[in-house]
Amino acid sequence: MDGMTFRMPRPPRPAFRPPAVRPPAFTGRLHDARTATAVGRWLGAAFAVCLLTGLVSHYLQQPPAWLADRLPARPAWGYAFTQGLHVATGLAAIVLLLVKLWAVYPRLFVWPPVRSVRHALERLSVAVLVASAVFEVLTGLLNIVEWYPWPFSFVPVHFAVAWVATGSILLHIAVKAPEIRDHWSRRSAGTEALPVQDAVDRRSLLLATGGAVGVVTLTTVGQSFTPLKTFDLLAPRHPDHGPQGLPVNRTAAAAGVTARRLAGWRLEVAGPRPYVLTLDALGSMPRAGARLPIACVEGWSVGADWGGVRLRDLIERAGGRPGRDAVRVTSLEVSGAYRVMEMGAEYADDPLTLLALTLNGQPLTLDHGFPARIIAPGRPGVLQTKWVQRLEVL
Amino acid sequence: MRTVSVLRYGLGALGLALMGLGAWLVTDQPDPLGVLVWLAGALVLHDGILAPLVLAVGLLLVGRRRRGPLRGALLVAGSVVLVALPLLVRPGAPPNPSALPLPYGRNLAIVLAAVTVVTGLLIAVRRRRECRQGRVPADG
Repeated sequence: MDGMTFRMPRPPRPAFRPPAVRPPAFTGRLHDARTATAVGRWLGAAFAVCLLTGLVSHYLQQPPAWLADRLPARPAWGYAFTQGLHVATGLAAIVLLLVKLWAVYPRLFVWPPVRSVRHALERLSVAVLVASAVFEVLTGLLNIVEWYPWPFSFVPVHFAVAWVATGSILLHIAVKAPEIRDHWSRRSAGTEALPVQDAVDRRSLLLATGGAVGVVTLTTVGQSFTPLKTFDLLAPRHPDHGPQGLPVNRTAAAAGVTARRLAGWRLEVAGPRPYVLTLDALGSMPRAGARLPIACVEGWSVGADWGGVRLRDLIERAGGRPGRDAVRVTSLEVSGAYRVMEMGAEYADDPLTLLALTLNGQPLTLDHGFPARIIAPGRPGVLQTKWVQRLEVL
Repeated sequence: MRTVSVLRYGLGALGLALMGLGAWLVTDQPDPLGVLVWLAGALVLHDGILAPLVLAVGLLLVGRRRRGPLRGALLVAGSVVLVALPLLVRPGAPPNPSALPLPYGRNLAIVLAAVTVVTGLLIAVRRRRECRQGRVPADG
């Protein structure tokens, strides 16, 4: 704008003309279909992983009736893996999404914004894609730090918008299929038509994107993968921080469980032959041990040594049929969405599923569910019910 | 229609159907309008805040002959800052002592310092290599 003056002679009032203001044109390099395709492939893969692992988590937590008794208890590390992957991939997707969108900035900020009906529809579908994709990674990112500034419930809305994002990605792939095919590899026809000197620059950008994903992953994944805990600098959880060497999601105070409420605690077991046990009587039953992770929906997981009584022994004593009967577990906590938990027959029968009394060799602390808690292989942490008061053979 | 077209239209139709499913699930929520506001907010967050910010930072790179390493450093640093931001600005005390237990401000500074050092080394190594290649006579 140098040298321009605003004191111009006033022209005769013309017929209405749109103001001559327009966004600056993009002159930078690499805002091209090859860059978008190369990053888009990784982004698509990341969203696919997030969707699949998200569905695993969703149906483990809320299985339909026909599935509840068929959910496999093994591998014991299954949920720690899928949910750790869900969160790690979601964090990586933040980087990939922003680079992918950067590659198409000239189209996002195109002028005029709409050229035709077809163009308007295409832009609308892309707006839905951007909104839902950013929404998913943003709500996920805030959820793992347990920050809920929105007026809705996270789980069902994150689930619902995941379908919007998935659908709009598939639609986008369908619309862009010819361009994607033309720029799929370095030797594709469309790629070869791009300026040759951009190839080196593009490789540098893609390497940097990989580097950014690598650094984000390395500095956060230690919360799910303990061998990398040294590099866990920016994750919401750390394997070494928590009572008895294990993080806690819901404290006794938050759940309204106090020493007074626990006074005179008894375990009630309902079934064909119901019975009641004191803590001493429970402790004198045959003991078993299991090394199992607590794996939280927020993505962190830490393995621990648990000691207690096998759930199947307790079921059998009540006249239940291990392997065929599901179990309902009720906690002493005052309120909470997971106060009552149901466990399918496969889990209830697994020899690793315990009513745990000890954690890493010590009696459970109050925050870890004293006097007794459930620990089962391959289940989300919210279903590892603490402060267990009642078992019911179903 | 050719098989490719059938696949393409089928994929598009599946996409539309899933978008419909998601929209239906959203309307099933107690406050669908709140979800809509947040979806629009996500769009504004990207197009209105993040993208202009990226473009402004991108001015640093304009006119540089070799922008690769600096751009890479900015990309890595920006990503790390973005991922760490909720840890730093989340209002209120952590929900319990084992949640958000780390000194995140200090840790972010460590990561950014490491990014700076690695970038500096990369640039130095590249310059040296270029100098050496420059000195080699043309006939070997």
